Formats: sequence, C-alpha cells, structure tokens
Amino acid sequence: WPDPGSFSEVAYSQSTGQKEQLSRCLQRGIRRVQDLCKVLQLPRVFEETAVSYFQRAVQHPSFHMVSLEKKELLGGCCVFVTCRQHNWPVTMGTICSLLYARQELFASVFLSLQKELELSVPALSLADLVKTHLNSFRLFQQAAHVPAPFVEDKEKVVARTMQVVELASETWLVTGRHPVPILTAAAFLSWQSLQPRARLPCTLGRFCRLAGVDLPPPAHLRLKELLEILLRMASQLAWLRVFKLDKKTVVKHIGDLLQHRIFLLKKAFCQEDGEEQGAAAPGEGSPSSPPAQGKGCPSGGKRQLEGGPRPLLPPCLINPRKRLRTAATSPSDSAVTGDEPISDSEVEQYLRGPEEIRAFSEAKAWP
Amino acid sequence: MDAESDVALDILITNVVCVFRTRCHLNLRKIALEGANVIYKRDVGKVLMKLRKPRITATIWSSGKVICTGATSEEEAKFGARRLARSLQKLGFQVIFTDFKVVNVLAVCNMPFEIRLPEFTKNNRPHASYEPELHPAVCYRIKTLRATLQIFSTGSITVTGPNVKAVASAVEQIYPFVFESRK
Repeated sequence: WPDPGSFSEVAYSQSTGQKEQLSRCLQRGIRRVQDLCKVLQLPRVFEETAVSYFQRAVQHPSFHMVSLEKKELLGGCCVFVTCRQHNWPVTMGTICSLLYARQELFASVFLSLQKELELSVPALSLADLVKTHLNSFRLFQQAAHVPAPFVEDKEKVVARTMQVVELASETWLVTGRHPVPILTAAAFLSWQSLQPRARLPCTLGRFCRLAGVDLPPPAHLRLKELLEILLRMASQLAWLRVFKLDKKTVVKHIGDLLQHRIFLLKKAFCQEDGEEQGAAAPGEGSPSSPPAQGKGCPSGGKRQLEGGPRPLLPPCLINPRKRLRTAATSPSDSAVTGDEPISDSEVEQYLRGPEEIRAFSEAKAWP
Repeated sequence: MDAESDVALDILITNVVCVFRTRCHLNLRKIALEGANVIYKRDVGKVLMKLRKPRITATIWSSGKVICTGATSEEEAKFGARRLARSLQKLGFQVIFTDFKVVNVLAVCNMPFEIRLPEFTKNNRPHASYEPELHPAVCYRIKTLRATLQIFSTGSITVTGPNVKAVASAVEQIYPFVFESRK
C-alpha cells in the first residue's frame, strides 16, 4: 500500500466533488426538459440529447446574464432543436403553448441558441407534420358533439391531406408561410371531398370547432388560394368544363384533380421551359433586368390573361400590393459627392427666427 | 439562362446610416428651442432633427454623437451630416465635424426568377437559415463581408452591409447560389 504520508493535500475547490454539484437553476432546467420530453412522448435518446444541449447552453457565457424567463425557455428550445435534428415533426407553436411562452421571445432564444452553440437545425418537413397535426383532430371517432356523417377514417384524411399539401407546395402556397394554416386548410378540403354531399355546408370555422383545434387566421386565405388553384386545374379537365364549377362544387372533384395533378398543373399554368414554349415575351420587371428568357408567358406583376394559362408564381406576385412610389433620383442628385460647399441660406431654413423662438418657448413653458 | 452570362441587376440603396462626432457638448434644450423640424425626447436624452434635402433624420446626443439615417447613397449621407453639423454651428456650438463613418447600408435587389427556399437552404447550410414560422425569407450571412441577406421566394433580396461595396460584393457572391435554386 502507498505510504499515506506521501499524499499531498488537495483543496476541496480543486476536488471533483464540488464540480459535480449542479446549480439549482440547472437542476430545475433539466427537470423541465425531461418533463417536456415525457409530455411529447419522445424517445429516450431525444431526452439525453436535449439535456446535453441544455447543459452546454446554460454554461455558455452568452446565457449567464439572461432573464429568468429566457432561461426557462432555453429548455424548450433544446427540445425543439433535438426534435428537428431527428426529423420529429413539432412546431414552435406547440412548444410555446406547452411552456405558456410568447412566440417572439421563444424565437429570439431559439436563434441565439442556434448561433452560440453552432447547431445545425434541418428544415421542418411539412409532409411529416401532416400526420402529427391530424392526430389532434377529434373527427376520427364517434362522439356526441360530432354528427355521424362528419366522422371520417383517419388514414384516408391523412393520405388526401398529404396530396393537397404537396399540391400547395408545388404552387408556391407553402414557401415562406406558417405551416399550420396550410395544414388546417388542406385537412378541411380533404375531409370535405371524402363525403361532399353531407359536408359541403360545413364551414372552416365549424370544422375546426368540431375537430377541437384552433382556427389560425391565415387558414381562410390559404383555403381561398387552394380553391383558386383547384378551379384552374379543373378548367383543364374536359369532363368538368361543362359543369361550370365554383369554389363550393370543385371540392367534389378533388380526388380526380389530385390524381391527374402533374398533367393539370402543366396545362393550367405557364411553364418556364423555353424549349417547350418557343420564343418568349420579354418580362415586365425592372428596366435593366434581363429579358425573361425561357418563359412562355408574361412574368409576375402583369395581370393574368383571361382564359389563358396563368404563370405559376407566388401569390404576392400575382396580386402585388401597391407600393409607395419614391421620387426618382434626378441627375443632380446622383452627382452628389458629399463635399459640396453649404451656403448659409441652406442652413438657415433649419433654424427658427427670434420671434418664433419666443413664441415656442412661451407655448412649451419649459423651465 | 446561364449563371455565368452577364446579368445586369439593379441594386437599389434604400437607407444609409452614418455617424459623426461634434467634439463638443451639445445643449439639447437649446437645439429643441432654436432648431426647426426638431423633436426633443427628454426621457431618453436625445433630439431628432429632420432635414428636407437630403431627406435624412439625425439623432443627436448631448455628448456630441450624431447618427444620421435615411440617405440613399454614401455621398448623400456625408452631405446631410455636414449640413447638420453646419446647422449646429449656426446655433452657436463649437462643432468640429470629425469621425464621420458610414456604419450600415440597406439595399434591395430583384432577381429575374423565383427561388425555391427549402432547396436553397439545404444547399447552403450553415450560412443559410430558414424558419418559415418566424420569417418568410431565408437569412444568409456572409461573415467575411459582414453582410446579411434576406432572400424571398419572389426573387427579391434585401442586403445589409457596412458599406456599398460590401453590399455589391454580397449580391455578386449570392447570385450563383440563388441561380442554382431558381424555379
């Protein structure tokens, strides 16, 4: 045995014992992360990853002096990042509602966490989110508040909603927008189309109330946009042209439209491929931008031609908002160097005269 | 359309922010009383002064630091800052126009094509960040230029950088990447 006299003294602060003590804040945070993982029914490996991220974050200098409110959100952000990295579909809205947090604050903590810990967060897949989102709908089982014709098979609704979401994605309705309103609108259309006779009179608001989900405000706009796309596609199907479809009646034919989606999109909307369309008309964008080579139809900003194919563009380009016109720069403005002499008369317009000063000080009555 | 062929893109500068110092203490109350087009924010200790030509807004602190915003070119920003310094001189302050620096330039550029944001983000990690729940555009940072670009699906790109040259370089650098992800 080694001689005890040869051992040197080790201060308690240098021993591992003190370093292993976790602060109360860290312990509470870890417990919160674990509870959140249990509520979301996440696998064990997710919990371990989220806890390790949380420990790293709390020890990072940029999170030492943040408010308690932000520290409480840090755990939720770590769980959110972990889910995204494993392609587990969960939205920020879900985490915020579980933590009773404001989305703006959650967003700022999430972006800081991503930056400081240099975490790579893959994009959220809308297709994966469809199933998780529809799990919360209460229309797939008989219930007292749900009329019998409104109950539907979950797998059918999920399959059709996925197709509608894919269609939305191909027609620029998804890019840059919140995912949940699109999912709600797509689920509503899919559900209606499976038994249109009984369900056409049901509005989006009533559908959400029966399903027990919130109605996000943009869902009405997404629904309107989806119906416009479907109507355009329906105008290309010979056996549907005779029916003179509108936004209500097109729902009955969603199945057919989705089945021939690729063909109908090509027919209903302009294509960019110049080889198919031949010589293109120049675009109406900014004067110095190159002509829209390869485009078979006018570019966005121009009103769509009646009866002709419409360009497949983001909705904000089809119906652009009026922008305030800024004054065009004159040649003299562009010749400014910054070092021109400044005359007294130019400066005096920014100074008050003596009488004006007197009147102003009397009016303000400053001490 | 080929990414390598010459493409003329309009870069429209919408805002230039500059700072300068007057090297003297400024009496904000006097500026508020004797200056026209002035707003005195007593609670935060600053004065806002607006010039008509060039159309800029100056934030003036009593320490002598002044920030000017609203110009549409670096030269215009300098001219506006000098005009403001002259106005303060006329009010009786011993102003010396020093430490002038353009600190931020905001510009907008429109690509002649739409951009598939999810594809662009996937191809350009970790520089690109796309969170549609938070913002409809992809945020792309170029560390070497200290420039940030907001790329929208419509092809519109908003660029912020420390000066006009950095902004122009940023647009040149991003063009081939957005071209790859065009619709």
